Amino acid sequence: MSHITIQNLSAFYGDHHALRDITVEIPEKLITAIIGPSGCGKSTLLKCFNRLIDLTDGARVSGKIIVGNMDVLNGGTDVTDVRRRMGLLPQKPNPLPMSIYDNVAYGPRLHGVKEKKKLDEIVEKYLKIGGLWDEVRDRLKSPASKLSIGQQQRLCLARGLAVEPEIILCDEPTSALDPVSSQHIEQQLLKLKNDYTIVIVTHNIHQAMRLADYVIHLYLGELVEHGPANEVLENPKEERTRAYINGTFLADVKADQEINLKGNMCPYNFVYAKQALHALEKGKILKLIVDDPTAVTEVPRGMEAGGHEVVSVRQQNKTDWEIIIRKKS
Amino acid sequence: MNFRRLKDAFAGRLMLAAAVFSSVLVFIVAIALYLRSEPILEVKSLGELLLGSAWLPSQSIFGFYPFILGTVIVTALAMVFAIPLSILSAVYLAEYANERLKSIVLPLIDLLAGIPPVVFGVFGVLAVVPLVAGIAPLFKDSGIPFLNGGGYATGYSVLAGGIVLAIMVFPIIISISYEVFKAVPFEVREASLSLGATRWQTIKHAVIRTALPGIAAAVILGFSRAIGETMAVLMVVGNVVKIPSSIFDSTYPLTALIANNYGEMMSIPLYDSALLLAALILMLIILFSTLGARLILVRIERRMHG
Ligand SMILES: Nc1ncnc2c1ncn2[C@@H]1O[C@H](COP(=O)(O)OP(=O)(O)OP(=O)(O)O)[C@@H](O)[C@H]1O
Ligand SMILES: [Mg+2]
Repeated sequence: MSHITIQNLSAFYGDHHALRDITVEIPEKLITAIIGPSGCGKSTLLKCFNRLIDLTDGARVSGKIIVGNMDVLNGGTDVTDVRRRMGLLPQKPNPLPMSIYDNVAYGPRLHGVKEKKKLDEIVEKYLKIGGLWDEVRDRLKSPASKLSIGQQQRLCLARGLAVEPEIILCDEPTSALDPVSSQHIEQQLLKLKNDYTIVIVTHNIHQAMRLADYVIHLYLGELVEHGPANEVLENPKEERTRAYINGTFLADVKADQEINLKGNMCPYNFVYAKQALHALEKGKILKLIVDDPTAVTEVPRGMEAGGHEVVSVRQQNKTDWEIIIRKKS
Repeated sequence: MNFRRLKDAFAGRLMLAAAVFSSVLVFIVAIALYLRSEPILEVKSLGELLLGSAWLPSQSIFGFYPFILGTVIVTALAMVFAIPLSILSAVYLAEYANERLKSIVLPLIDLLAGIPPVVFGVFGVLAVVPLVAGIAPLFKDSGIPFLNGGGYATGYSVLAGGIVLAIMVFPIIISISYEVFKAVPFEVREASLSLGATRWQTIKHAVIRTALPGIAAAVILGFSRAIGETMAVLMVVGNVVKIPSSIFDSTYPLTALIANNYGEMMSIPLYDSALLLAALILMLIILFSTLGARLILVRIERRMHG
């Protein structure tokens, strides 16, 4: 059974085409992992689901997202309804500036629960589901910011669940956490999948293997491959999926040559890259460092069109990207 | 290189010295004022000075009560007008206004902040005072405390002072609160909205809450400006030594007392000392009220962030 149906979804930031004509279905009460290199549009896709993308100036979305009988992107649909039905677990825990109790009670209060006893019950119930109750039961009134980062993330989970959503959206929920806290969150998610549809964005293929039942691979805004987790992760049909999975496994591919094209604009960086590749023997690996956003999408596209293999595209820091290409022809 | 380390150490010391100097200055001013007002404190009791309501320097009677009350009431009235208006404006500008509107309004607000007080004073005399004189009769027999106009109203009044001061502190509170709202992390809004809050709920329960310490700082700054403002106020409050029973009555704040009289009639015994005591009282009121506000601020912050 599919829970979220996405049809011909495109998203733009200004004239940057961040999602290109995505059509896919997300199964109900399973964990779906969205994987893909940095900047491929994973977060954008989640933001389309809960319409947080509305907050970005200059962002435009077209296509359809259907959840149950609700047309998410339709202007007439109440966004607060959409968001109530989808809890969000962000990359970095974002507790509200209030007590632990008030954080969890925030959503229910918004939606009209006033009675103290009822709120107490809700707070206890969801802190238990979030796996945090035992640690905070006797300091519910202390500020949420006092908790450790891992605890804050579980608090965010509890807070999201307290509005009784049917879907949980997680954007790299463990990337800011230590291994023990990450494991904690992963375990909670596995328990929750009996009752919720979970969509998790992750950079970590191992995490996708541990958690996911279904996998969607995005690459530069395009849907490359989707299917049951074991098929996509172990036996991908698409060359680019294989490259991405291998790339993240071989965290550091040994490059035979490395050139730094920072500060160069398109199409010059493409021309320089072509020249460098020309000088290499077949099968050798070239590593490029670029900082021009257009190059990040256009250089790999051009290289693939030229018959070469794009091994991986990764963001190194705020501005710099690493593109690894294997010479094929 | 040693020279570099030397320079580093020197720069550090220099900045420390500058910081110490500017904070010590406060104490120097306070001590100087105290020393100069000592003569009157030696012959009169503090109670007599602070609670006396007669001001007859030639008979050596100095009661500061009407002036203290004048300062407090005019400032309080100004803040009552300015706080809600400027915070709502800041919320609107930061959360709802489009870029075009902001690019017009924000520079205008900064401009307003840069207008010299005497211009506000003239504006007050030409526009606010007649306005107050016009509306005062409407409340003449209203029976509402502090609004009862007592017969003939000139318009030179507590209310005129409050309005002019509010206009003056308005831009300060708006532009600081605007920056504070802008600085509220996106994550806070994201957290609230993703729980199904509307935009207004998000502002009311999450954004304003996060911004509260900053807004409080803006209000404190506005308050200090209002309470210390002299020129604009003395032009519109009438400067009559009496205890106002209505906001349509004239009043005489401490700043106006000092500015109007210092340097004149200095041959009257204790007069000079009395005026400097007025300055000291003003300084202490500002000191204690900002200190109190800071304490409240710390309490709020502790409740939020621990
Ligand atoms: N607010 C924005 N304005 C302009 N461009 C944006 C904005 N947000 C994202 N983008 C661009 O859209 C593309 C997709 O971004 P998105 O955040 O969805 O990537 P992602 O797959 O989540 O990456 P990461 O793994 O690094 O989180 C990127 O090229 C990014 O630069
Ligand atoms: Mg992302």
